[in-house]
Amino acid sequence: MIRFSNVSKYFPTRFGPKYVLKNLNLDIPDDRDIAILGTNGAGKSTLLRLVGGIDFPSEGKIISDRFISWPLALSSGLQSSLTGRENVRFICRVHGVKANRQTEEYVKEFSELGDSFELPVKSYSSGMKSKYSFAVSMGFDFDTYLMDEIMSVGDAGFKKKCENAISNKRASANIILVSHNMNLIRRQCNAAILLAYGRADFYESVDQAIFRYQSL
Amino acid sequence: MKARSAFSIQRDVVFAIFVREMITRFSTYTLGNIWLVLEPLLMMVLFMVIFGARGRGAYGFVEAPVFIFAAFLPFRLLWSSTMRQSASARGGSKGLLEYRQIRLFDVFMARTFIEGGLFVVVGVILALGMMWLDYDPWPTDILLTLGYCSVLWILAASFGMLACMIGSIAREVEKLLSMLTMPIMFMSAVFFPMSIVPKQYWVYLTWNPILHAMELIREAWFDNYISPVADFNYLFAVTLILLAFALSSYRLTWRRIVAR
Repeated sequence: MIRFSNVSKYFPTRFGPKYVLKNLNLDIPDDRDIAILGTNGAGKSTLLRLVGGIDFPSEGKIISDRFISWPLALSSGLQSSLTGRENVRFICRVHGVKANRQTEEYVKEFSELGDSFELPVKSYSSGMKSKYSFAVSMGFDFDTYLMDEIMSVGDAGFKKKCENAISNKRASANIILVSHNMNLIRRQCNAAILLAYGRADFYESVDQAIFRYQSL
Repeated sequence: MKARSAFSIQRDVVFAIFVREMITRFSTYTLGNIWLVLEPLLMMVLFMVIFGARGRGAYGFVEAPVFIFAAFLPFRLLWSSTMRQSASARGGSKGLLEYRQIRLFDVFMARTFIEGGLFVVVGVILALGMMWLDYDPWPTDILLTLGYCSVLWILAASFGMLACMIGSIAREVEKLLSMLTMPIMFMSAVFFPMSIVPKQYWVYLTWNPILHAMELIREAWFDNYISPVADFNYLFAVTLILLAFALSSYRLTWRRIVAR
């Protein structure tokens, strides 16, 4: 369970505080895969960063006892001058994973990068980068995976592979997904949070949330 | 994933950043990581040759290159580098803060450790080289010297951390720091001992804690030098106060720095 109790988040601007989330009370159940819906600037990524623990609510508390991944977005948290392998090794060290060899080989195989895995990340194309960062996230066992538009790039074959990988993780984990791809959301998620009018509402039914979202 | 204690998370993270910083700092250069040691080494050799060329016995109590070695090594590697690396930690760690385990403080710690390690490595290499050239570069009281050096090191890290925190409010601090580099060196008795400064000017210089550190290091390094002004209590008190300020300002502002 990830519990938001009375969470507010605002950013100070020269027009005064700009609220992204206000007095949010929300329980995210462990057995649901959640889609976060909302227009641009509604606070989807901020919500994800709050859950991921790399940004903090201005007021209120977020309580959780799960291992939550870092928000997986394109090339976030990767050092571009390091090679793919060195980046994986770094993330292993940070997460206290001692078997880094194993993880490195897994990522190399899953990302289908071949020899490029030994080259600096800055030499990757955006497609390669998305494959790589997805593969990195799959190399670690989290309870909850946070994904920010990460599955929207990449070729058709790889997309299929990603979705299979996620389905396999389902037994022990759930995902929280930000995406503008409604088909992907329908396939991968079974609950949704809709951010609109400064509120966040939890929907048991994805179709209902998408209907609301599209009629905003 | 396995649950870890707070201490082991911090240890893992500081080690990871330590390695990453070492790999990335000079990765685009032809000679790569050799520059990590080569840069301070070349700088020190250059200083020792330029100032040493003025001849032996210029300082009365020790040969010129050894004097320069004992002064510039702690000043450049412990004070300047540590301070500047800590002060620029915020800009250099944007990508690191994407992981929830990593806090800005870990970056400070990793960078401070790197500079401390470089100080020891470069110092030993240079001292061995000087022994080969028939100088006597080793401190008389090596433990006391290292003790004073550590205080200077902590002073530099605290000052850098404080500068980083203030820099998050006003970026002008970075400009100011780079402007002040030279004046601070002149005011810290780096390339002259305080014993050659006329007594009436002491009062203008002795407020500076770095000067006390330099003089104390010199006293411990050379057995025939006694500093007329050095005061360990003052240095220690200023270091403690700065450290307390740095840590509390970090505690007060780190969340604001993390927020985008």
